[in-house]
Amino acid sequence: MQISPLTAKVRDDFPILKRKINGHPLAYLDNAATTQKPNCVIDAQVRFYENHNSNVSRGVYTLAEEATDIYEEGREIIAKFIGAADSGKIIFSSGTTESINLVASAWAQPKLKTGERIMVTEMEHHSNLVPWQLVAQNCGAELVYWPLNPESGNSSDGRLDLQKLDELLAESVKLKRKIRLLTVTAVSNVLGTVNPIAEIVKIAHAHGVPVLVDAAQAVARMSIDVSAWDCDFLAFSGHKIYGPTGIGVLYAKHERLEEMHPFQGGGGMIRQVGRQTSTWADAPQKFEAGTPPVAEVSGLAAAVGYLADVGLPEIQQHELELTTHALKRFAEFKDLELYGPPETIDRSGVLSFNLQNVHPHDVAQVLDESGIAVRAGHHCTQVLHKRLGIAASVRMSFGLYNEISEIDRIFSALDQARNIFLA
Amino acid sequence: MTTPSIYRDLLLEHARHPKNSGRLESPDLRASAFNPLCGDELELTLTVSEGTIQDCKAQVRGCSICQASASMMSELILTKTLQEAANISQVFTESLQKDTEEIAESLDSLRPLIVLKKHRSRIKCMKLAWDALEECARQNQT
Repeated sequence: MQISPLTAKVRDDFPILKRKINGHPLAYLDNAATTQKPNCVIDAQVRFYENHNSNVSRGVYTLAEEATDIYEEGREIIAKFIGAADSGKIIFSSGTTESINLVASAWAQPKLKTGERIMVTEMEHHSNLVPWQLVAQNCGAELVYWPLNPESGNSSDGRLDLQKLDELLAESVKLKRKIRLLTVTAVSNVLGTVNPIAEIVKIAHAHGVPVLVDAAQAVARMSIDVSAWDCDFLAFSGHKIYGPTGIGVLYAKHERLEEMHPFQGGGGMIRQVGRQTSTWADAPQKFEAGTPPVAEVSGLAAAVGYLADVGLPEIQQHELELTTHALKRFAEFKDLELYGPPETIDRSGVLSFNLQNVHPHDVAQVLDESGIAVRAGHHCTQVLHKRLGIAASVRMSFGLYNEISEIDRIFSALDQARNIFLA
Repeated sequence: MTTPSIYRDLLLEHARHPKNSGRLESPDLRASAFNPLCGDELELTLTVSEGTIQDCKAQVRGCSICQASASMMSELILTKTLQEAANISQVFTESLQKDTEEIAESLDSLRPLIVLKKHRSRIKCMKLAWDALEECARQNQT
């Protein structure tokens, strides 16, 4: 196997990569769905349960104080990781989905009035679409779309047009249809498009529209700086940055936190509880009812430390090399249709495609026979797939441990799929 | 290269040249089924006379397993009563859930499908046509 300097360093850190699948070494290329876990993340959680397990912010004994320290240090680490000014703006959730639902329920729902709007893009994951449908339906509000470029037809370069955004926002002002929020992904989980978040936020703010950024795909692929981006909310999951499942993050600006109602009721989120009514703890605890995922936070903190050790610029460079190679390979085959930006500009290592006249499920099954894990389906983006005029696609998505030779294995296995289904 | 075990000849034959593919113009019963995992969809149309399935067509937008299952099902249920077809569907579903390799004699022609049940992620693909059939049977009762 052709080994790059980065993967030579990291592959041994991931025990699962030693597995064989159907007699072949595992080529794990479904990192947009979830990433594998390095030993330090697994160890951090084991260490927590073996040495420090107790509930947080509730006991005065040593273990409880240690657990509280681990949890709150995790918050500090995350705040620094995404460029937040302080850890009070970091809310822990179960994942990106819960983070977005939290904003929909605790912030948008109390504000939204009949006839008002929420703007989404055509490339959003269901987790950044369905919560807005629900809240819009509850409030008699409307969901409006910032379309992919160009506005009509099936083909698209997978990009969003900034001028179009400006026009749509201006048009809404003219119609007196207030847009309460623009919600947009930083990196598309299908097209691989990297959206210019700082510019998007600037345009939206110029029209008085707050912005939520879905950073689920972006967070393991690029440096994130919420202060530079100036976004109002940002959500991501731990399991997509080599951390544990069941832990996610919501960042919110101070003024947005002030506007937010409680999300779930329970222990930990209150100041005082009376027989009929209660008062609330300050943010972020106000939004963290119940026993929080302390072991998961220790794992997430370890993952963030791991990314810093390996180096996000190095990871980004590695992903660029993998993407460049994959794009070159795609160009060799006329029967492969690739979606999203056709060059490396504005694109990350998430590549969705179809092999002409072969269903994505069948492609993925043949790849699995060769030990290759890719995703097949609509990847929780039915609106986007409909826009592209397809029902489903095959997706390869790179992680820091992937090799150029693993990409080549996909293209060899695609030959096998051609032999089986098109012979 | 060897053909992966999942794609046996008979199954591929049904997938490439599906029997009873398309839509009936004036069906007595019509039902659609969707696979929320991948967005696949299937429409089953039936004509029924005195409870017996006279004609049957399935319009499939799905993978080879889904297509083959619809094709095999159509061959099996033609000239059966709706009740018999629903019973076959039930036995088929049960055999997909069982851990044993045993297959009921009445389902022998479905063997190439049933042996794929270890690929849990493909069971919904196999079931799509049968879900539509069961929906047709339900419509007929009401």
